[in-house]
Parts: sequence; C-alpha cells; structure tokens
Amino acid sequence: MVASVFPAITLVALLVPILAPDNPLIPVTTSSGMSSFVAPGHHGFLLGSDLIGRDVFSRVLYGIRTSWFSAIGVIASGMIIGGAVGLVAGASGGLVDSILMRITDAFLALPGPVIAICVVAAMGPSLFHTLVAVAVVWWPFYARIVRGEIRALAGRTHVDAARLAGVSRFRLATRHLLPGAVPAIVVTASLDVANLLITMAGLSFLGLGAPEPAPELGAMAAQGMQFLLTDWWVAVMPGMAIFALALLSNIAGDGVRKLWGRS
Amino acid sequence: MAAPDPGIGTLAGNEMTMSETSPPESRQGIRDQVDGRLHGSGSGLDAVASTEDLSITFARGRQRIHALQGVSIAVQPGEIVALVGESGSGKSALGLCLLGLLPTRPAPEVAGTATICGVDMLTSPESEKRAIRRSRLGAVFQDPMTSLNPTMRVGAQVIEAAGSEDEALSLLEAAGIPHARTRMRSYPHELSGGLRQRVMIAMALAGEPSLVIADEPTTALDVTVQAQILELIRELRETKRTSFLFVTHDLAVAQQVADRVVVMYGGRVAESGPAGAVFDSPYHPYSAGLLDTRITLDGPLAVELPTLAGDPVDNSVVFSSCPYLPRCPSAQARCEDGVPELRQLDADRWVACPISADEYSGPGLVSIRSKARRAFQPAPRTLDLTESPDSPEIQLRGEASDGKASSHQVVVTVNDAEKSFPLGRRDSGRAVLALRGASLRVMAGESVAIVGESGSGKTTLLRAISGLTPLDSGSVQIEGRSPQMVFQDAGSSLTPWMTVGDILGERLRKERMSRHARRARVIEALRSVELSAGVVDAKPHQLSGGQRQRLAIARAVMVPPSVLLCDEPTSALDVSMASTVVNLLGRLRSDLGIAMVFVTHDLAVARTVADRLCVMYLGRVVEEGPADLVCSNPGHPYSIALLESVPGRGRFSPVSGEPPNPVNPPAGCSFHPRCPQAEAACSATSPCLKTGQGEEMSGLHPGDHHLVACIHWGGRLGSS
Amino acid sequence: MTSFVVKRVGAALGIVVVLTFVMFFLQRISHTDPVHAMLGAGASPAAVRAEAHRLGLDRPLVDQYFSYLKGLTHLDFGTSYRLREPVSTALATYFPATMELTAYSLLFALVIALILGVGGAGKWKGAGVFRAIMLPAACIPPFLLAMFGKIVFYEHLNLLPAAGRISSSVANPPTGPTGFLTIDGLIAGKPNVTIDAFIHLLLPALCIALIPAISIGRILRSSIEQTMQMDHVRTARAKGLKERSVLLKHALRNSVGPALSMAGLQLGLMFAGVVVIEIMFNWPGVGWFLAQSIPQGDFPAIAGVTLVLSITYVAINAAVDVLQAVADPRIRV
Repeated sequence: MVASVFPAITLVALLVPILAPDNPLIPVTTSSGMSSFVAPGHHGFLLGSDLIGRDVFSRVLYGIRTSWFSAIGVIASGMIIGGAVGLVAGASGGLVDSILMRITDAFLALPGPVIAICVVAAMGPSLFHTLVAVAVVWWPFYARIVRGEIRALAGRTHVDAARLAGVSRFRLATRHLLPGAVPAIVVTASLDVANLLITMAGLSFLGLGAPEPAPELGAMAAQGMQFLLTDWWVAVMPGMAIFALALLSNIAGDGVRKLWGRS
Repeated sequence: MAAPDPGIGTLAGNEMTMSETSPPESRQGIRDQVDGRLHGSGSGLDAVASTEDLSITFARGRQRIHALQGVSIAVQPGEIVALVGESGSGKSALGLCLLGLLPTRPAPEVAGTATICGVDMLTSPESEKRAIRRSRLGAVFQDPMTSLNPTMRVGAQVIEAAGSEDEALSLLEAAGIPHARTRMRSYPHELSGGLRQRVMIAMALAGEPSLVIADEPTTALDVTVQAQILELIRELRETKRTSFLFVTHDLAVAQQVADRVVVMYGGRVAESGPAGAVFDSPYHPYSAGLLDTRITLDGPLAVELPTLAGDPVDNSVVFSSCPYLPRCPSAQARCEDGVPELRQLDADRWVACPISADEYSGPGLVSIRSKARRAFQPAPRTLDLTESPDSPEIQLRGEASDGKASSHQVVVTVNDAEKSFPLGRRDSGRAVLALRGASLRVMAGESVAIVGESGSGKTTLLRAISGLTPLDSGSVQIEGRSPQMVFQDAGSSLTPWMTVGDILGERLRKERMSRHARRARVIEALRSVELSAGVVDAKPHQLSGGQRQRLAIARAVMVPPSVLLCDEPTSALDVSMASTVVNLLGRLRSDLGIAMVFVTHDLAVARTVADRLCVMYLGRVVEEGPADLVCSNPGHPYSIALLESVPGRGRFSPVSGEPPNPVNPPAGCSFHPRCPQAEAACSATSPCLKTGQGEEMSGLHPGDHHLVACIHWGGRLGSS
Repeated sequence: MTSFVVKRVGAALGIVVVLTFVMFFLQRISHTDPVHAMLGAGASPAAVRAEAHRLGLDRPLVDQYFSYLKGLTHLDFGTSYRLREPVSTALATYFPATMELTAYSLLFALVIALILGVGGAGKWKGAGVFRAIMLPAACIPPFLLAMFGKIVFYEHLNLLPAAGRISSSVANPPTGPTGFLTIDGLIAGKPNVTIDAFIHLLLPALCIALIPAISIGRILRSSIEQTMQMDHVRTARAKGLKERSVLLKHALRNSVGPALSMAGLQLGLMFAGVVVIEIMFNWPGVGWFLAQSIPQGDFPAIAGVTLVLSITYVAINAAVDVLQAVADPRIRV
C-alpha cells in the first residue's frame, strides 16, 4: 500500500543516527587534509561537503529527521486542537458554535505563515518557537473541516434517532458524530504534510529555526546560497531533500485518500 | 424542421420521405415489421423513438449491473408512453440512452439500437446526436432544483434552447408560467418547485421537438402541483402533438397521463399495451402484483395489504429464466425454460409471460389478489363509525364507557403549537412560519395521520411531539414512555459506522442487563420485524432499503414507546416495499398497543394506516376527523383539492396555484387565494375548527368529530 | 448585494482590529526590550526611565494600546531599532516592489491554474499528462525552484537576470505614480523600463506562483469534474449545446467559486514565498526588509511588515468574497 510510506519515512527518520555516516556537526578530516567543498561522489562524500568540510549527506539526513518530526508534530497538534474545537462547535451548535467559529475564522482570515514569521521573530528564533508558532496558525484549518463534517452529519436523522434513544451528549458526539469526521480529517492531514514541510523549510530558510550549526534543511539551503553558482550542491541537496520528502508524503497522502474513498 | 402539421398522416408522411432517403432506417423498419418484435401501434416505421434489443451494462466496482437486458420499445408521434418500474428496473437508463447521454466515466457496455427519428443515438457521431437533441428531443428531469443552472437566470437558460427571447417567452407562457416576462429575470432558487419544473418543460419544448423524455418529472413535486403538471403534459400533447416518454415508478401517475404503458422488470419489458387495458386487466403476474400492492383510496380497511413475495430483483445477474420467477405466484414448470420473449396478446398488447390465457383468464388474477389477505386486529377505535360522527352523544358515551378507559387516555396533547425558523441571518427578521397554532390530541392506542403538502408544517409538528424541535409557544404533553420516531430516509436515520447490534443495543443502555441478555433482546427485536438474526453484525449500508426501514422500526419499538411517530416512512420505498412496511407498522401497533402519529403527503396511505386524519395547510390543522370519513366526504376545500389531485382515479381537476411560501402566509383563511369557493369574508377572518353543527372545538375534544376550519362548513349559518 | 458588501467589509475591519491586538501582545512578549534597543545595553537607569516615558511604556496597557492603534491610523508603525527612522518610511520604499511582485505572481498563478484546471478536467488524452505533472510540481519548495531558475536561466542560458527589480543600465526609472515599474514605465512613456522590469520579475514571480497555481488548479479541476456530473449540466447537454459551451457557459462559472476561495487562501502562502524569493533575488521589497530586520530583533519593523501584508491579505480576501457573490446569486442573502 502506498499509504505505508508514512510509517516507512518515520522509521528512516528514527534510524538516522545509525544511517548517517558522519557526525553532522563536525568537519570530516580526509587523507588529503582539506575537505572543504568536496563535490558529490568524491572522497566518500555521497552528496559532497560544505564550506568547513562537514558531510552534506549526514547533515541532510539529520535535517530530514528534524523536518519530518516537526511536520508530524504540528499536524498532530492541528488534528487534536482543530478536531476538538471542530467537534465541540459542530456538536453543540448555537452560541458555542458561533463563538468558536468566529475565533477560527479570525485565524483563517489572516495569512498564517506571515503571522508565524512574526511570532517567531518576536519570541526569538528557535526550533521550539517555530513549532509553536506554526501550530498556532495551523489548527484553525482542521477545526473548519471537522466542524463542517460534524454539521453535515448533525443534519442526518441518525443523530435525531440517537437523541430519541436517550443517548448522552458525550456519547452522541463521540459515537454518532466523530467517527464520521475521521476520514475527512485523516485524508486532509495526510495531504497536508507536504505543505507543512515546505512552509517550515521556508521559515528555516529565513533563519527562524534552530540556530547554526544545527542541521536544518532550510537553513542549510540559505547558507549554501552564496556559493550556489560555484558549489551548487551545498544549497541544492537540502532543497532536493525537502522536495523528495514532500513528494513521497503527497504520494502517500493520495494513497490514504484513495483508501478512504474520498475525492 | 418545419412546424409540424397537426395532421398525423402528414407527419408520418414526412417520416416516410426521410426514411426513403436514409436506407439504414428503412431497412431497420422493414426488419421490425418482419419479426414483429417492435410492438406498438402500427409499425416501427413512423415511430419517433424506438429501441431494439437494447442492453446496457454498468460496471460498479467489481459488480456488473445489467440495467437493461434486450429491451425493444417504440414511441409513436403524439403518444404518451409511460415506462413504469421499480428502482433497479433500468427505466432511467433507457431514457438517458435515447438522449445519448449515458454516463461516460465509466462508460457502460451497450448493445442493440436506440433510434430517434432514424438517427442511432448509440453509434452516431456526437455532432449528429447533438443535432437530434437540439431539434427533435426535449428532456425533463426529476429534480427541477438541481436540473437548472443555479447561476443563470431562467430566461437565459430557456433562450439558450429556444434561440430567441420572444420564442422563450412564448414557451414559458405555453408551460403555464404566470407573468412569464418578469419571471425570466429570476434565478432558479427564487422560483417554487412547480414553476421550476414548468421552466424545464418550456426548455424541453424549445424547437418543437418530436419527443420529450420526462424522467420522473413529478416525483419531487407536491400532489396538487403534480396534478397540474400532468394536466399540462396532456394538454401539450393535444395542442402540439408532442410525444412523451414518461419514466415513472408511480403506477397511478402512469395511469393518469399515459396512452400506452410499458411495465419494466429486471431490465426487461414485462408487459406493454394501452394504459386502460393494462390497468384494467394486467396480464403479467408482476403488473398484476404491482397494481394489487398499490395503496389506494378505495381499498378495504383493517386488513393486511397484499405484498409482493420475495426480494427485489438482483440485476447483477444475466437471466436464464423469467426474472420474475422467484417471486411469481402463478409460476409453472415451463417458466424456467429460458427468458420469456414478448408475445402478442392482441393487436396492441404484448407480454413476456409464457402462461397461456386460459390458465390465467379473468379470475385467474384474483388468485393473486386474494392471496393471504388476512385480517389483523387494529387497535381499538374510540368510535363506532356507524354512528353519526358529529352527534354530541357519542362523546358523552365515549367518556362514560369506563370499560375502554385505557383507550381513552390521552397520550399526546399539543396545544396551539407555534414554531418559526429564521431564514438566513437572524437579524433579517424573515422566518418560515412552520406552525401557526396547531393543536392535536392522540389517544392511547390510536393512530392519527397528518396529511399535507410541503410547507404545511406536518413534519415540524411531528418533531415537536418528539421533543426534537422545541416550540416557540404552545405546549406538548406526553404521557408514558418517551416517543420514538421512524424517519423518511431510513438510510440516513441509521448511524453508518455502527453495526445493527450496536444500533439496537443502544436503546437498552439504560437497562442493566448482561451482554448475553442484551444480544438476545436485540435478536428478538430483529425477529419482530422479520429480519434474520444474521444481520446483527452487518452495517446499515449492507442492507436493502426495505430492510433498513424495518431495522429503524425495530429500534423504535424494541422498548415500546407510548406513541410511535412516523415521518413518511414509506415515501422513499418502492411500491411493493411500502405495503410491507405499512403492514408491519399495523401489526406492531396492534401487538404492542402503542399509539401512532403518521405524517404523509399521501392520502391513500393516511387512510390505510390511520383511525383519524388531520389535514394541515400552512401550519394549521384545517380538517380532522375519522380517516375514512374525511377521505370519502371531505369538508374543507383544500382536502377536496388534495383528493381531486390524487392521480389514477379518473376524475381529475387540479386546484390552481401552488402551496404559498410559508414565509408570508396569506391573511384570513390561508387557503383562500387558491380556493374555488373563496369569497370576500375568507380573506378577512381566519376560521377555526368547527363541527358540522358549528360548535367550536378548539382542539380540546378531537376524538371522533369531523371538524373543518372553513366558513362554508355546515355550521356556518348557525354561527353567523 | 449592498448589505452583503457592507457586512463583508465590516468583518474585514474586525479582523484587522484583532490583528492589532495580536501585534500589540507580541510587542509586549518580544524578546527585544525597546528601551535597550534604542539606547544600547549600557544606558543609565535615568536615561532608561526617560526613554520608557518617551515611548509611553509607563502608562497603563489599555492606554498604550489605544495610542498604538491611534498611531496606526496615521500610518505610524513606530521607529525601527535598526534604522532609527520611522518604519513607515521604509515600508513606503519597499511595499510597492512587493505588491508588484505579488500581483504578477497571483496573475501567473491564476493563468497556470486555469490551464491546469481546464486542461486536466477534459476527457482528452492530455488530461492525464496534466494530472501527472501537478503532483511533483506541487512539492518543489520555492527556494529550490529559484536555485534551479538561477542556475539554468541566469548562469547557463544567460536569458534572465537574477537580482533586483531593474538593470542598473536603465537610467532614471520613474518613481511614481503607482510604484509598479511595469506600469509606471508605460505612464512615463518609457517602454524600455516596462520591458526590463518585466524581465526582472519573470523568474521570481514564477517561483512564487508555482505551488499556489497547482493548489488552485487542482481545486478547479475537481470542481469542474464535479460540476460536469451535475444535473444542470445534463440539462444543458440535453438541450443540444456543444460540449465546449457546456464547459464554458455552464460548468466553468459554477466551478470558479471554490478555485477563487482557494486563490484567496493561497495568497497567505504566497506572502511567505515572497519573503523567501525576495531574499533569493535581492528584490527590494518588504520581505527583503523583513529578512534584514529578523536577525536584529527589530520588532517594530517586523510588525510593520506583518501588518501591511496581513491587511493586504484581508482586503483581497474580502474582494474575492464579493466577486464570488457576483458570480453566484445564491450567496447574496
């Protein structure tokens, strides 16, 4: 199944410390002494080396690990916070629904990534701050989707029937409404991983992530930019890693979508 | 196309000239004449539409659905042919095929021919099919809301088909749209259902088509509007000599509108012939059975309705014998020898049944009709109907007869219920006035039917009784266990991801019992609605429509409520399934002694299931009384109009106008703008329910009186 | 219709007020202390107190918020720590460049989306190809695309410039009235300016446009496909209309709604892309200005950029909603 790409990437990300040939933070000393800007495929550097001679392949692997777990973490928080807000709003209706959705809409009416940049810049660049900032702007999307699904389900007479059967509000929400929204939220989330990877790489590119020398794909690409026209691999390889990661998760997301029969 | 001459001979002559210039068609026509498989009045030569040996197979997942299996039909100029069948009979696929609009993704497998005016709608190039659709064909579909483009003014949509604004205007007028010129600037969502369907008809008539294919054109409409549309179609046939292929599941509608009927079963033609002949003396056991299971206004009461035995046809099978064989009460051994071909009964009648006329003659059909019509014990009525319903003694006698005390206990009391639903934003002040002071009483064990068209507030009243919809003002009191409800769309009323066992078990959550005991109760409940214990682990989507509705009923009654509320539980079901559900409800009611409130738009169903009947119009009860009495001797002009609009009963004089918008109901008697008896006083005063003697009952003593809210009702002289 | 517009504009203003709350709050939690940012670390306590008083930091929070809000209505975004001059001056310099880049990006995105959406929806053989391109193309981060663009079109083919808004060889580029060089060049009667500016923005705008174009194109495609299955399209076909007029007159208009909403939402991602791309191409816009301000913790500058971008975003989305109401009469209630 294509959808199993998700656990496969997670497994690879977990095994990075074993898979990486070199320490991502320390320059590699070769027999010739100088290891600065070795081209890919030479002197045992699969993807070349950077200015101070660190192995780009190892740094990219660690970068993938950071990107992947960051993306999964933000998606999970979006699903949980957004799912909870959407479920409460959709299942309650009325005033609670209005208030929660007004808040959600206010978030959605703002350009999320720009606000995230501002939040991180205010709090001071760090990976944790970036995760928090992105998570803060990311959940409303999920709240909207879940709420929409729940409202559609709440219009079905099976909810009326359950109410007449004397089912409690909690059970109504969790047994008669929530399961119907799960396919939508899972499909949305799995197709959203790629977006998030690219957005977070953009923030990291702006220097809004873990500070140097931490191996982050966006930051690595930004640092390599000044050597782009001479030693292209330092900038391009991390970019290609983001691309590959995003492509794989989109293909897997498509697999999830087909699995759940959504379009 | 030149404007067709009203003389049919000339038209046929034109067709002849055409066919001479197009050899394939004439060859085809001759072949039809020779093997005689193309049935219909006259030869296939002058037919505006014909199919021969048409088969269509859809791929649905891994299944192959054989929608049509060798169907040959013909529609003659100026003829209305009704194509009748239950869901899965392939009738809609046939209509789309003639239009050349079968779905393309995934494309079905098609064999045979489907010809319009000599052009093959299956194999011709797209441009030729399009030209035929433009010049020779019109189409009217079921749902007039979705069938019109929501972002285009209706005028523009008709002009697209008609070519010019003047032409569009005259078409809209021909389709009976009042103020057609101003209506052209409306968007579809600004029109009522009936007007939308008239716009569709205007569009279909553009370019003087030879044939209009109408796929369930009245199914989504109210009965009074349906009657108007059926009249319009008859009238258009008379004035324009347009042929109609009228696809419907409703036998009564077919009987009302058609010249000729084709009954479909399992993707094959079961029987065809002149409407009168087929409905008077159906030959095929399926046609006979369908007619017999139909719920009518003159059928016997307090007996079980006849039903069709067996399961609906499985059209994933290619038949090797008669498709109706498993359900046929008159089956003979030779019915298993191959699929029966259509054979000619007389000049114009064809039937696909090998049983000979003498085995089957006249009373032979009665054997089906009388089969197992066992009487069931209805819940005790509160009134002896032989007495005059309006005499006050009866009421006294009723209260005095302490032997029947339990049946005189009131279980539902609704007083002056009012409810409105705000439209759009809350601050706009516009609201649908669903209930405008409706009162109702239901006695223990009694069955009350609420009848009305869309916007009458009947469903809101039901939901108010259930407690699902709180009232704005007025009160609802329930005695005994809380009410349960059976919904119109059984599929939607069952939680899709829960198993049958979980759905039923949920009703027992409050009762402490072991898992084992609970399961036993669940299986017992399934048995009570004639479902096998094997479905307990199934999900709702694995059941058929009829099974789902029975499951919903089982859920409602497994802990018997004091009153069972039914919201059109039969209207989404096929004819044969509907009578099964009505029987089941009747039996459960007498077994469990529960009261029932049954909401329906169908007077015949109401009369069959109910002791007492309430007619609602725009949020008020306009008439109530013993069901049979209201149906045989209606008092309110609206009830009369409803009865007159029931199709298939010969007399047919539809009331004009449509149910008005419940956002701003007319002042006075809300029916007066449509009422043929209206006078000045009707727009000033709003009459309340009165007996024939003019006593106001104010909904507190409903019981057995025949109450009508109309100033013309018997007591008028006394009160004024 | 009028009431719909009024309501929509009112909602947009509400959002902007919320935004000012957020900005004020972030200012408070900002890790850079405004007083020390202005005075330097070694300032005397008295100077600190004086500066705090000058900045109004000793007044109640509500007071501070209202004076902040009042300043904003006069386009006063505060003083940049880094430049020691009003943020509004810098924004006035950089904002038109960003708007021009964004406008062209949006235009390119919509054109590409229309091609991808309509091309991918048809029944023809090429539809599969369109669909096949869309998946990988949606996964390219803008900065990677920019790298390839620079390497291929600048370094190897030497077709397109890779930095700035305009060549240094163009003498005296016009400075007004719109701030869009491509338009001002025409107004000033200097077509060479327009052409040069257009060539400069081609590569960066395409890099920004690609991902949003695919998102919008995808929505448009599935929306067209859904509409083509609808009953009213069947009615249009039954009338005998040509397939092309069915698609253009009946399906496309009913399908652009979701695509337009998506375009509005994608603008948020585009702004993030603009910041990255401006750095990559040395584009003198607010994104570039933002990137200069982040390492210095110059919060007034960061907040100023965030505010102008957000307000633009809110305004464009309100306009999209109004456009949709024009396209679909059912929305106007």
